[in-house]
Amino acid sequence: MRMFALDYARPAEESEVTATPAYRYDPLLQLNVLDDGRIAARDRALLRELGSTTSTAGSKTHFDD
Amino acid sequence: MDRLDARGVPVVRLDPADLPGAVGLSGEYGQGGLRGTLSAGGRRVGLGALRSVWVRRPGVAGSGAPEASAWLTQEASQALYGMLRGSAARWMNPPEAAYLARHKPWQLRLAQECGLPVPATLITTVPDAARDFARRHRDLVVKPVSGSHPQDPPLVVPTSRVAPDADFDAVALGPTLLQRRVVKSADVRLTAVGDRLLAARKEVSPDAAPEDVDVRFAPSAQAWRAVGVPRSVAAGVRGYLDAARLAYGAFDFAEDAEGTWWFLECNQSGQFAFVELDTGQPITEAVASWLARPGPER
Repeated sequence: MRMFALDYARPAEESEVTATPAYRYDPLLQLNVLDDGRIAARDRALLRELGSTTSTAGSKTHFDD
Repeated sequence: MDRLDARGVPVVRLDPADLPGAVGLSGEYGQGGLRGTLSAGGRRVGLGALRSVWVRRPGVAGSGAPEASAWLTQEASQALYGMLRGSAARWMNPPEAAYLARHKPWQLRLAQECGLPVPATLITTVPDAARDFARRHRDLVVKPVSGSHPQDPPLVVPTSRVAPDADFDAVALGPTLLQRRVVKSADVRLTAVGDRLLAARKEVSPDAAPEDVDVRFAPSAQAWRAVGVPRSVAAGVRGYLDAARLAYGAFDFAEDAEGTWWFLECNQSGQFAFVELDTGQPITEAVASWLARPGPER
């Protein structure tokens, strides 16, 4: 027997955590930037692709900056 | 960050995990009170000049140090938050308020007190209490009490419809949150930023399965759309924020066929970009505006 709620658990998806980010943190700008130097938070397509999902509480991807 | 830069508001961004190390902190208590500085990434701010602090999923203080330890974490955490808390800065959100606000059982009670409709809920370790609750309410969902998920191994525990033949014996193994299932016509996310309330609604597909309870995991082609906030909900939410001393909160509601918004939870650090992208609501701008506003707390 295990805790009741665990009967409804499912394996966590790890794809978003293991994928290589399309951006890096620029310590001078204090912002995430793309390879071409653009500010990642202004790229709506990227936001939609990487960080626009509702939190799945356990997600390591945050993109609200 | 980008919005604050555009406003010309100086910002120091840091991760408490990097204290000590990439983050520097110094404060002196003398006749003039507390004078101190905080530095990171080549930027520096005087504690006396700090107008606001945005806490966004911070690392554990001291955890990035080469000699990390539980004691160092205590020391770094006390030094950082203690000194920052001693400044006149406004917080989004104050750490002690955030700590309490993460307790979902407390959220439910506060929502009730603020007049927000809360679905019948039971949190119990007593199997007979669970059976009695199931007899009275029949159609139930189960969700984590804490909102967190097991990490070893990594699992997710979505809000799930309880099977009709569920055996409640296992309730004795850990606190279990059971709640009457709201037959919802839509999910509502209300993002509160200071005095601004920005609500969005995501309609439930007509062909959605009753088992698709959790909007985070349910397949849906529907987009979030901006929606007005009913007056009674606005009053309840503002009362909640005042009582919880929160400047930011992401409220989740389930809307039923009668249009009632049932309070599910308030995440004091809930994400908002996914709503903004769908609706165009200026949530980021509202956060930046709140942070940029000069003046002392309240």
